[in-house]
Amino acid sequence: MTSIGTGYDLSASTYSPDGRIFQVEYAGKAVENSGTVIGLKVKDGVVLAVEKLVHSKLLVPEANRRIQTIDRHIGMATAGLLADGRHLANRARDEASNYRDLYRSPPTLQALADRVGLYVQAYTLYSSVRPFGISALLGAVDKSGPVLYVVEPSGVFYGYHGAAVGKGRQLAKTELEKLDLPNMTTRQAVFEAARIIHLVHDDAKDKEFELELTWIGAESNYQHAPVPKDLFAEADTKAKEALNEGMED
Amino acid sequence: MQALKKGEVNLGTSIMAVQFADGVVIGADSRTTTGSYIANRVTDKLTCVHDRVYCCRSGSSADTQAIADIVHYYLQMYSQQYGTAPPVHAAAELFQKLCYENKDGLSAGIICAGWDKEVGPSVYNIPLGGGLFRQPWAIGGSGSTYVYGYCDATYQEGWNKEETIKFVKDTLALAMSRDGSSGGVIRMAVITEEGVERLFVPGTELPRFWEGKEVLGPHKPTHAADPMAIEVEA
Amino acid sequence: MSVDVFRKGGFDFSNARRNAFLEGKGMPLPKATSTGTTIVGCIYADGIVLGADTRATEGPIVADKNCEKIHYITDNIRCCGAGTAADTEYTTAMISSNMELHALSTGRQPRVATAMTMLKQYLFRYQGHVGAALVLGGVDPTGPQLFTIHPHGSVDKLPYVTMGSGSLAAMAVFETTWRAGMTREEAIQLVAAAISAGIFNDLGSGSNVDVCVITKDKTDMLRNYEMPNQRVEKERKYGFRRGTTAWKSESIRSLIASETVVPVAQLVTDEMDIS
Repeated sequence: MTSIGTGYDLSASTYSPDGRIFQVEYAGKAVENSGTVIGLKVKDGVVLAVEKLVHSKLLVPEANRRIQTIDRHIGMATAGLLADGRHLANRARDEASNYRDLYRSPPTLQALADRVGLYVQAYTLYSSVRPFGISALLGAVDKSGPVLYVVEPSGVFYGYHGAAVGKGRQLAKTELEKLDLPNMTTRQAVFEAARIIHLVHDDAKDKEFELELTWIGAESNYQHAPVPKDLFAEADTKAKEALNEGMED
Repeated sequence: MQALKKGEVNLGTSIMAVQFADGVVIGADSRTTTGSYIANRVTDKLTCVHDRVYCCRSGSSADTQAIADIVHYYLQMYSQQYGTAPPVHAAAELFQKLCYENKDGLSAGIICAGWDKEVGPSVYNIPLGGGLFRQPWAIGGSGSTYVYGYCDATYQEGWNKEETIKFVKDTLALAMSRDGSSGGVIRMAVITEEGVERLFVPGTELPRFWEGKEVLGPHKPTHAADPMAIEVEA
Repeated sequence: MSVDVFRKGGFDFSNARRNAFLEGKGMPLPKATSTGTTIVGCIYADGIVLGADTRATEGPIVADKNCEKIHYITDNIRCCGAGTAADTEYTTAMISSNMELHALSTGRQPRVATAMTMLKQYLFRYQGHVGAALVLGGVDPTGPQLFTIHPHGSVDKLPYVTMGSGSLAAMAVFETTWRAGMTREEAIQLVAAAISAGIFNDLGSGSNVDVCVITKDKTDMLRNYEMPNQRVEKERKYGFRRGTTAWKSESIRSLIASETVVPVAQLVTDEMDIS
């Protein structure tokens, strides 16, 4: 970046002369360096998967989850600063509950993403705060069917069939593009998600990682829940096998 | 609670809503009273809160107008924010919330009805205390007490539009004839996916039922003498 | 004995208890001046005619024989007030002010529905304690509009309306003679007749007829359009003839007070140092 050192990158409330806000772009860097997070929106559900990098063997497995439940039918997976993700999930829960209080019905993901987007955007306006160092994947099955959104540090959000953020996003996206997502079942998507996470994991740079898998679909009674243990084990094993097969080729 | 404030304008009322396959038929009388005076004899108690969601108002005129205005505002906001028409239950929940949370200061009995693309036609009753009940048909207001039996005996599932309109019209006419606080004309609306059709029955063309004979009993009615002139002192 | 600086927290209901006690002893709270009134409004082909009587009462006493009850809201909107005089006066003045600001900020001719909404929301907020019963009329880009607003904040929209203690008498006139699509002159005559019915048949109403005609491009305030209660010259003189009373002595005094005014400046200039 050419303008580094000119002082235009010190505050989220300062534009550079060519109209950029560097603090927001730096927040994007925090996301790019995080473990890969993917989301698959398929025929009858949504699957979220996270490559959670484990920096210490002393950490308790399955603790410090990166995928959180926002409402019974909404899940959120974040890439970037873990604490920011937890804060945003908290806010999203408040927004969901606020919607429920007002209309006494489960919020649509469109409505929730809209509110979360507005909240994230507010952190790009003031010199006293820093923008969120996360991209948040929001997945749900609501009255309009399966939905998947990604909220970026700038506050913008897009709807996707399949989304990938973090370190391995490039490879993950090419893998996602190969899939026939709209005609896939949620169960099939679980296997694909596990496979992609294992595939994009870079053994050379990052040693350990833990796979996190959640889904929302008919088999989870349209509620956001971790993929059941047996299915998880099956998907995990198959993913490792596929990886080994790929290496043998 | 529920007592009308002194000098308050009252909708001593007969209101009704019935769902059928394609939509709902809502109806109301047109009388608004202050004490024994009819402040408005052609009132429209069927109030639009969104394109396909209406409410029938009974109780205090001021209270129900204010509530309807607030719900109207929220539903307009809803469709602007979410880009879709609000479902009927969202409107009903809003009415219920306002009625329940302010029950000590309000006298409002509301029937909320309409059509939405998720569940089709629906009718919600929000009586005085702020409850919320989904019903295939609902009646309300002071006049309704006279016609519960008629409705129970008459209503049947699977009616078409014309049959449902007749049910609403007849029920309201019966309620209006027995309840002194109800009367005037019958206003109705048919809400379907296609739109809202307003119907009007003038007070002179209300459905009529048995209204009695001049003289009761087995005897032939005796002919009453024609009025005739009598002498008056100059 | 020291003065208690600190008071106990919480609300103090002693005045409410005192008032209840006094009321029990037969000393009710003083009543605000209520205008027994007849006010009406009527839509005709291309405008609105409003009417009002001009009597203001304080209990059984006529406080003002020729008051004005048709209040200005904007150039194209007027409002007749019945009920508590102070409330109708204050409420209409406040809404008039807000309507002017609203027109200025929107850059449009103000609408009657806007004034109606402001009035009803204000009255509803005060739950009937602001005792204003209003007839609101005007012409805006959406055409002639006529509303009644009750003190609790309910609104009716009708082609002809009456309010106040004389509303029954006036409504009787409307119900028998109103027709759709009347001309300006017919509407004025009907409104004057309705007000007259109030003036002559309702004790709370009286004196003169005020009429206001609002059309798309002009508002005519016909103050004292009819004056059916003018005091006429007495047929006889009741004064005593000069010299009726005899007197024993006569003394004439001048009651004109005379003063000499000396400007203060002249007294001080000599001594004052104004350098």
